[in-house]
Amino acid sequence: MIKLENVTKVYPGGTVAAKDVNLEIAKGEFVFLVGASGSGKSTLIRLMMREEPPTNGDIWIAGKHASELPSWKVPYLRRSIGTVFQDFKLLPTKTVYENVAFAMEVTAKHRSVIRNQVPQVLKLVGLSDKADRLPRQLSGGEQQRVAVARAFVNRPLILLADEPTGNLDPATSVGIMRILDRISRTGTTVVMATHDHAIVDAMQRRVVELDRGRISRDESRGIYETRDPQPLPESSDTELFEETQDGADIEDDLDDAIDEETSKALASAIESDRAVDDAGSSEDGLSDDEDDAADDDEVTS
Amino acid sequence: MTSLIYMFKEAFNNFGRNALVVLGAILAVFISLTLTFGTLVFGEVVRVNTLQWAEDVRVIAFLQDDMTAEATAELQNEVSSWPQVADIFYVSKPAAFDEALVLFSNDEAMLRVLKENPDLLPASLRVQPVDPEDYDLIVIRLESTPGVASVESAGDAIDAMIALRDGLQIMFWLLAVALGVAAVALIANTIHMAIYARREEIEIMRLVGASNWFVRTPFLIEGALEGLIGGALAVTFIVVAQQLAVDRLSELPDWINLAIQNDFILRQGALVLLFGVAAGLIGSSLSLAVHRTLRS
Repeated sequence: MIKLENVTKVYPGGTVAAKDVNLEIAKGEFVFLVGASGSGKSTLIRLMMREEPPTNGDIWIAGKHASELPSWKVPYLRRSIGTVFQDFKLLPTKTVYENVAFAMEVTAKHRSVIRNQVPQVLKLVGLSDKADRLPRQLSGGEQQRVAVARAFVNRPLILLADEPTGNLDPATSVGIMRILDRISRTGTTVVMATHDHAIVDAMQRRVVELDRGRISRDESRGIYETRDPQPLPESSDTELFEETQDGADIEDDLDDAIDEETSKALASAIESDRAVDDAGSSEDGLSDDEDDAADDDEVTS
Repeated sequence: MTSLIYMFKEAFNNFGRNALVVLGAILAVFISLTLTFGTLVFGEVVRVNTLQWAEDVRVIAFLQDDMTAEATAELQNEVSSWPQVADIFYVSKPAAFDEALVLFSNDEAMLRVLKENPDLLPASLRVQPVDPEDYDLIVIRLESTPGVASVESAGDAIDAMIALRDGLQIMFWLLAVALGVAAVALIANTIHMAIYARREEIEIMRLVGASNWFVRTPFLIEGALEGLIGGALAVTFIVVAQQLAVDRLSELPDWINLAIQNDFILRQGALVLLFGVAAGLIGSSLSLAVHRTLRS
């Protein structure tokens, strides 16, 4: 679904944000990109969504040679990718419903399709009763759920999330992760860049760790911290400094106790979701959606 | 269809959001095209009124009705051999009738008489002098030439009118071009501001995979609409002004005809509207080309 071959990205001024990255992500996988600030997580996300081309190397996204794609074809690639960001990127003057519908309107979807899909996806993220609210009338977690709904409403093959829980408290993050997990189980490939130890540890999914633009670890059922920590090279003083400057990390250290609880809550929440799904129940009204999405995948991939 | 409605809706939305800037751009198009269309209409009025004096004709010899074709050809040869004559051409009775229909287009009674007697107007020879000052010499010689019924020469009023038209046309065209450039720049500016106001929306549109044309077309429509509205105002203004002039200036000498034929207004008016739309499209394209938000 996603394949990066010897990808290097050098920004003007000489900053190397990705160096010789080789990464293959299969359909339906859930992958965490972890690493210190400035390690190149966001750059990889931007390269995958073809926000910018790599300096060297090849990128394949959903069967398309993204690094060679002419710029006028990029919009069509984007239709198979959903994106979620730390700052939500919602339109403040549009309601929840309109924000989600916007993603369908601008890709010229028929009005009847929009009227059918938007309520379904709002139900998926649990915001059916807040469809008429404006973003400023919602909590941060709810705003992020709108953003996830917008990213998923066009049933993308891939969902890219750059620090989606970065602005949210741990309890709210659990809610977002449950939704991303459900989306992943519809067959959608999810790639999430994050700083959040608790989430990574609780989910036990593939973890790709980046260090100054290089992949330093790739584990299929990983946790946030390296299991066998390597001594830091001398030159990494600045990295260490950046790490301690990062508010999120300090907070994580202070709130370890809370994180433990959150992490347990998330793990048990996801377990119970799975149990419900495995039993084939359609109580949450999602089974249909998931089938649809799975069908879409088969057709388009 | 849904996207077309969406695009027009977006284009109109910005009119409200940026009302003052949009008004400025429309006014610039309006003034520029008023000058352009005014120049065209004024030129047409002068052309109609000096129809028989076009192409430097300064002397007209009306021929006797009983002239045969051979006699006419012989006379034409003779006059063209005179040293003062640069060129000469023949206007037949039917051609004179067609010309009169335009000349007297504002004179109902005259038109009725003409249409009842299409043969009424005589054929004529139109003479271009080598030196315009020499026309009186040609007049005297023609008056004593057999077969010529009467001779008419262009008066000072005709010369003044043609000189005025030429002078004004140069000035108006220069002004119209300068204002046209200003109009394009102002439209580019309004579109620039519209793009800036919607940059978040555009960013999200690009994220979710809106095609380049889907993002750009509303801005092109907006520019074209601004040009079209400015052009429509200009055409309306000139048509009303010209109509008022025809009604109010009834004491003008009979030989001045301010009326303009409808098909001229339709043809040139449509061209002016097209110019307006083109100015709008050029302005918005310029803005889209330089705006970074829209680059992928």
